[in-house]
Amino acid sequence: MNLLVLYLLLLKATLTTFSGMSSLPLVRADFVVRHKVLTDPQLSRAVAVSRMAPGPNGLYLVSVGYTVAGLPGATAATVALVTPAFLIIVFLKFLGRNAEHPVAQRVTQAVTLASGGLIATALLPLARSSIDGPFSVVVAGASLLVLTATSIDTVWVVLAAAAAGLARKGLP
Amino acid sequence: MSKASLTEIAGVFLRAGNFTFGGGDPTMAVLQREMVNRRKWLSAEQYGLVYGLARVTPGTNVLAFYAGSAWLLRGVKAAALAVLSTCLPSAVVVVWLTYSLERWGSLAWVKAAGGAIMAAAVGMIAASAWLLIAPFFGKAGLAKTVVLAGGAAALAIAGVTPIPVLALAALAGFLWKGTAQA
Repeated sequence: MNLLVLYLLLLKATLTTFSGMSSLPLVRADFVVRHKVLTDPQLSRAVAVSRMAPGPNGLYLVSVGYTVAGLPGATAATVALVTPAFLIIVFLKFLGRNAEHPVAQRVTQAVTLASGGLIATALLPLARSSIDGPFSVVVAGASLLVLTATSIDTVWVVLAAAAAGLARKGLP
Repeated sequence: MSKASLTEIAGVFLRAGNFTFGGGDPTMAVLQREMVNRRKWLSAEQYGLVYGLARVTPGTNVLAFYAGSAWLLRGVKAAALAVLSTCLPSAVVVVWLTYSLERWGSLAWVKAAGGAIMAAAVGMIAASAWLLIAPFFGKAGLAKTVVLAGGAAALAIAGVTPIPVLALAALAGFLWKGTAQA
């Protein structure tokens, strides 16, 4: 895939959403469904890998960029990830406290809620590619439960899942 | 407010951004302590303003927070430095982990661990959706939360692509008055 196209598609995903993971449905629609340069397991892997690293959750885009186009792709994805952040300078300069206006809050709130619904929908095909039996159901369920009911860091969930997978197959 | 140098700014953001796990909120809490309480670079009001604006800036909120707070300290150069020093090292780790899983993914033990990690990722994404929606049950009201999140999901299942769904949600947010504090 052309690097400019990769950058623009990822920028579209980051510019139209309001949190790191909200861009996932758009990324899936463009890269998995439309252009077919990424598979659902690779997208799930990108999410998992980003949770094993420090930094913002949106870093899964870097893994997507690397999978699609190697190091140049990872670079383009990093630029796409950070580009919208600089809009806050415009907000600080020209809007200031007006950006806390109830209408701005309502629009942000509505888009965030819709993003939550879209993520839930995008989850279904990802689950079909990653859940293949009772063991993976238990791991996914436990992960969901721990992450919603406790404040434990995600990296521990990833490590615990890896340890459970190794224990099930027998250590190397 | 004491004036911070670019080196000091880079140091603070590098540490907070790359040694704090758990996403944006814990990192912003660390930066609040460093920039407001400890070093007095920003007032509590400035921190609150940047925090609020970061939430309505498209993209990853915490990156907008880095750019905004560093811009208040020393302008555009500081904003770029803050964003890059927080993102680049973590991005390198992500690339290395992706490469490692691609390179050694066929080994039996990597497959076993990787398969379980992929299953956990499904739980992580589900948790992400839930944690995005759950706070709004109280703040936006049950009806608004169900209609907007459920409506978006229904439209996506019906085959509508994400951009029109999000545009429709923005329009609904604009028109639908009510409790508005996110």
